[in-house]
Amino acid sequence: MEAKVYRCMSNVKVTLIDYGMGNIWSVISALKYLDCNVIVSSDPVVIKEAKTLLLPGVGSFRKAMESLRELHLDEAIIESVQNGGNKILGICLGMQLLGSKSSEDGETVGLNLIPAQVEEFSMKDIGTNKIPHIGFNQVTSLDEAKLFRGLPEKPDFYFVHSYRMLPSNLSGKSATCRYGTDFLAAYENDNIFATQFHPEKSQTNGLMLLRNFLAA
Amino acid sequence: MMPKKRLIFTLLYNNGSFMLSRNFRLQNVGNLEWLKKNYDFSHISYSIDEIIVLDVTRGEKKLDDFCSALKLLTDGCFVPIAAGGGINQIESARMLLRSGADKVVINSALYANDGFARDLASEFGQQCVVGSMDIKLSENGQYQTWSENGMKCEAGPAKYWVERIINDSVGEIYLNSIDRDGTGQGFNLELLDLLPDLVSKPVILAGGAGNATHLLAGLEDLRVDAVATANLFNFVGDGLKEARQSLVANGIVLPVWDVQLLERHLNATGINGEQS
Repeated sequence: MEAKVYRCMSNVKVTLIDYGMGNIWSVISALKYLDCNVIVSSDPVVIKEAKTLLLPGVGSFRKAMESLRELHLDEAIIESVQNGGNKILGICLGMQLLGSKSSEDGETVGLNLIPAQVEEFSMKDIGTNKIPHIGFNQVTSLDEAKLFRGLPEKPDFYFVHSYRMLPSNLSGKSATCRYGTDFLAAYENDNIFATQFHPEKSQTNGLMLLRNFLAA
Repeated sequence: MMPKKRLIFTLLYNNGSFMLSRNFRLQNVGNLEWLKKNYDFSHISYSIDEIIVLDVTRGEKKLDDFCSALKLLTDGCFVPIAAGGGINQIESARMLLRSGADKVVINSALYANDGFARDLASEFGQQCVVGSMDIKLSENGQYQTWSENGMKCEAGPAKYWVERIINDSVGEIYLNSIDRDGTGQGFNLELLDLLPDLVSKPVILAGGAGNATHLLAGLEDLRVDAVATANLFNFVGDGLKEARQSLVANGIVLPVWDVQLLERHLNATGINGEQS
């Protein structure tokens, strides 16, 4: 069976922020499947001008922030999103980097576009569950969440992480997942979007969510 | 809640070909074209939850070629991919992660280089590291671990190594039975007895599954989070799809995929994706 390419997004240009750490091929592959025009860049000037940004991520928070700073991408992302009003989707570590700070590997300050801290799952919270949280788990989304339009109820998404944000007192949560305790599975607030799970690894659910982000 | 259990397909790559392994002796099955024809991963990936691709080439491995194959193989395939085989440097791991892999499988380096898992984890995160162990029953009735494609026996009982590697900076552990490898006789559940009482990391069981009943026996064990099969012949065609249906019918909680989801939505909302 031939892989089908849906000619639905041909005018959408997505700029993938390359800071040397993401699983970028997987993300590119998903965006291409949605027929996007994908630009992979680590140039702050390009990032500042990009209308649609994607921040992927596999790796440690500290290393990632160091790379972003070295490449002057931290300021570029903040300027693009905060001043330019351009939209961004952070995936997994990319979501965490959008947070205020992380306790991974010592305390590191994040991009502070999502007002939440990133902390390790505590043994107390998760009970007999394992760390990292690896595998497909069900996500509960809010009715108004744009990212989850058209998705089935409690869709399965692929998670692989040991750190998480908590949804408490956070405006802009769009979905939670229960792993001992409820943690923030997805976030959306105006032009800022993020998922703790990997949409590019979550079959049709993930493709649909990416499509929703592009259309938002 | 607990993450759902996973059904994993492991592919063995050897210098451009894909292999069937039996007790670690390799048999050439076909090249990438053969594989694409008999196992279209962008299609059958709805029947599996993860793919592991291992470069088992004996002697010198060509990482560039392996990465190219990995890219081709995983194109249009939206499940987690783990890759490995002889990885003992951060930069090689980085190449795999830039060629479609989400996780890196390490095996021999776990024994040869004490700090390697930790270095990998500090670069890419612990969740990115899969510790793979090849285990065999030795003549004295004790389980032992083998590295270097099953060529080198590591001193000490397997139980010692399993515990040590689980406590190393790995995110998951992949337990493979050399004795059952490729035999289609079913998993060796005794390998699970080598695990410490409280295991805080996901366990993948591999080696020996030949049919859905074997997969079920593995997944029904509470100590198992995922089962893997590398049997290219037993699950050809609709084999994986049928095995998955049978697992679900037997009460195993696996992820649910609506294959038509995107297509249906696009038909309903028009070519530009505008909400009507």
